[in-house]
Amino acid sequence: MRTDRHPAPGKKIQLMATCLCDGFFDDVAIATVQVLEHLGCEVSFPEGQTCCGQPAFNAGDWKSSRKVVRHCVQTFSGAEPVVVPSGSCAAMLFHGAPLEFEEESDSDEIGRLASRTWEISDYIVNGLGIDSWPGRFPGRIAFHRSCHTRETDSGPASRKLLESIDGVEVTPFGEAEQCCGFGGTFSVTFPSISSAMGHLKLEHALKEKPDYLVSGDMGCLMHLGGMATREGRPVEIRHVVQVLRDSLRNGGLIS
Amino acid sequence: MKAQPIDVFARDLEEEVRHAVLDGSSSGYDKRLASLTSDFADPDLLRRTAGRIKQHTLENLDTYLPRVEEKLIANGVRVHWATDAEAARRTVLGIMRENGADKIVKSKSMATEEIALTPFLEKEGIESLETDLGEFIVQIDHDHPSHIVKPIIHKNRRGIARSFEREGLGAYDDRPETITARARTFLRKKYLEAQVGLTGANFLVAESGRMVLVTNEGNSRFCLAGTDIHIAVTGIEKIIPRERDLPLFLSLLGRSATGQQLTVYTEFISGPKVEGQPDGPGQMHLILLDNRRTELLASKCRDILRCIRCGACMNVCPVYRQASGHAYRSVYPGPVGAVLSPLLAGNKFPELADLPKASSLCGACKEVCPVDIPIPDLLLRLRDRAKQEGVKSPGTPPMGGWAYMASKPSVWRASLAAGKVMNYVPMNLIPVPALRAWRHSRELPPWRGGAFRKWMKIHAKEKGGES
Amino acid sequence: MSGDRETILKRVRDSLAGIEDRTPYPEYDESLAVTAIRSLDGDLWERFSERFVAVNGLPITSPEELVEYLKSFEHTTGYIDPDLQTILAPYFGSGFTIEDRFDRDRLDDYRFGITRARGAIAETGSIVVTDRGTSSRLGALAPWVHVACVRRDEIFRDTPAAVAHMEDDPNVIWITGPSKTADVEGIMIEGVHGPGVQICLLLPDDVRKVQPTDA
Repeated sequence: MRTDRHPAPGKKIQLMATCLCDGFFDDVAIATVQVLEHLGCEVSFPEGQTCCGQPAFNAGDWKSSRKVVRHCVQTFSGAEPVVVPSGSCAAMLFHGAPLEFEEESDSDEIGRLASRTWEISDYIVNGLGIDSWPGRFPGRIAFHRSCHTRETDSGPASRKLLESIDGVEVTPFGEAEQCCGFGGTFSVTFPSISSAMGHLKLEHALKEKPDYLVSGDMGCLMHLGGMATREGRPVEIRHVVQVLRDSLRNGGLIS
Repeated sequence: MKAQPIDVFARDLEEEVRHAVLDGSSSGYDKRLASLTSDFADPDLLRRTAGRIKQHTLENLDTYLPRVEEKLIANGVRVHWATDAEAARRTVLGIMRENGADKIVKSKSMATEEIALTPFLEKEGIESLETDLGEFIVQIDHDHPSHIVKPIIHKNRRGIARSFEREGLGAYDDRPETITARARTFLRKKYLEAQVGLTGANFLVAESGRMVLVTNEGNSRFCLAGTDIHIAVTGIEKIIPRERDLPLFLSLLGRSATGQQLTVYTEFISGPKVEGQPDGPGQMHLILLDNRRTELLASKCRDILRCIRCGACMNVCPVYRQASGHAYRSVYPGPVGAVLSPLLAGNKFPELADLPKASSLCGACKEVCPVDIPIPDLLLRLRDRAKQEGVKSPGTPPMGGWAYMASKPSVWRASLAAGKVMNYVPMNLIPVPALRAWRHSRELPPWRGGAFRKWMKIHAKEKGGES
Repeated sequence: MSGDRETILKRVRDSLAGIEDRTPYPEYDESLAVTAIRSLDGDLWERFSERFVAVNGLPITSPEELVEYLKSFEHTTGYIDPDLQTILAPYFGSGFTIEDRFDRDRLDDYRFGITRARGAIAETGSIVVTDRGTSSRLGALAPWVHVACVRRDEIFRDTPAAVAHMEDDPNVIWITGPSKTADVEGIMIEGVHGPGVQICLLLPDDVRKVQPTDA
């Protein structure tokens, strides 16, 4: 993974909400804003944003993907950090996009956006230098390190924040390194394997009887949560940033 | 919706096999990981350095190939070059005929698997016997290996015991120690009867012409103690520059493959036996195999040639673990195979273009790769290539309409609010068959398109009011 | 085939022609690949023995102990390297049949094989056997028990040291424990084709060193 980024200048940031939050998980985007504002950030939301381009990139249609990435570059102009509540979308911009633009004339512009894109936990811990989280959040958490944060600082950052919260117990579970089986279009083009992978993850995670299944990617959680519900053993899913926000609330630190 | 072949294979896989592969691949995972990550001061630097050494070698093969050839010849090794599988097979046969030999004992080698050497030799009336226990079982079953380190990961002891009984190796007894002892008894006679010991090579050092062979069972050692002629078949990508690089690669190979600091038998061979040594080949041949490796070298996927065949990527691959090695329809399964096999297929690339699609791109393979091959990136490059070459891919939704929408904010916003985006966007958010596929095993959360944008507008106004 | 040689080398050159910046060889310190979690300081026989035991090897420090071991398992027929006969044969009593030539036609008659090792590796618990230093490849492989004999000052600290001393021997082998397989259901079985028991005998310091006889 290419994760070379410039240190975050100032506390003005641009929020990339992601298409999943745009379509389904508005509370995750809201929590992102609330958490960042609590940390003193000035959050702007470029209205023209759509998607990071990953679906076409992964499907092998790089031409279509580049079209969308170019739109991203336009939308997120400026020099502020772009913060994303998704390891997957962040990795698309700081790793995937430079790959598909290798031979394009505008690869430098892509590189500049890549170097200022951050996944939210990574931004909080390594961009802002915060390594413990105030407030209180009672609950046993099974934390799924989503795959697109492999080899980045996001996984350890999320874990560090979660484990520092008063009341949180992060429970280990088996086969933790296995992918949940979402993988975007993979989940529909490989339905049997995708569900089998989801089962494996759920089996091991639910065995530990967590109160919440937590991750930094709503894709994984939508897949796992949807599967658990269908199987009649629903599990509470939370994005890391929702836990952070709720901890602040419980501690009376925000309203 | 049309299904992907690997998904169909996984769906129809016998439960027994699925469990064998799922458990067999994960067994020893902690040991492998611990031996890699906790033994060294800087394991990541170790991996990256190993990767760079191999990359450097590949990108300088024009220098290293003649150099290793020169050393080998000076060491008394007869060097042969084979442009393709047929040339390699003919070379082996030529050596056999020249020496009036008709029996080979073979140590496990992916290169000879790749060129389908054994079936060819058998047709020519030559007995070619696999001696690695797993490969031996594969051979008597007329099966194919399904893992590059654990060839019979898909089999269980009961099936093996039945095969042994069928082959006259003893009455049914499925205890692993009995199976192993029977193979021991049967094979040790064979080592002494054969004239030729045939092996691959794990590494070939350019500086000295020394080749390295690693095994745990000791079968390669027996091949090279019992026979008179040694033939090694090796891909041109197996070269490493210097002797001092050996500890680095050996440390990584054993740990990544089986969690061992070193495999039991690590053999360094630079030529025929010394005078006075009663056992082993006095004649040594080395066949340098191209078989499209030079095509790969020209491509942006050349990084895959760094592979040292440890099998770590398949052990962690969630798709391999669910689908098994045979799902990949090629000699090299799993993540490395998903890159290597379509590329080695030449103009039959379209037939295997589905392999790179069989990945959630989770990156587990890259994370454990001892030579730091960016496998997910290579899978993506091959997907792009397939798309550019117009290879049909069942089930993959068309992305043109989505790309149009996603680059027109006004259309995107309007669709969000109207929930119409469902008709254009990939996966759960797209064409109806995909939605059906999603809903087959999962619930979909309620559509709340535009809700955040509304909240953010109001929030921004309030914020503006505050200041 | 010489035609194939030229074809392949031309293909290689053509394939590489498009690469603008070839990856340089990365300089690195040899210690990068040496185990850092276990100390390799102090007596190398001790360090070696710890690792050797960890790979299911059996370190033995005296000929008496070795003979007792072989006797207790009724391994009474074996091969001993001719160069070791003078120092070891006296310890074997009349209950043993010892041969100084390994007859491959009677492979299974030998219960043990005692051969000279070129050295050992403390870092990994490996025995180093070379063609020049060892009298018979089969004698060190076919019997159920292999005893490799090594002097204390022949033990290498780590793998880089062992690699640096391979000299020009055409066949060097590092043996790290008994022959083994986990091919059947991942269950570990020792003694597949080679020895099921791997012993390392520490020789007294006055035994001649194995010297590479460079031609």
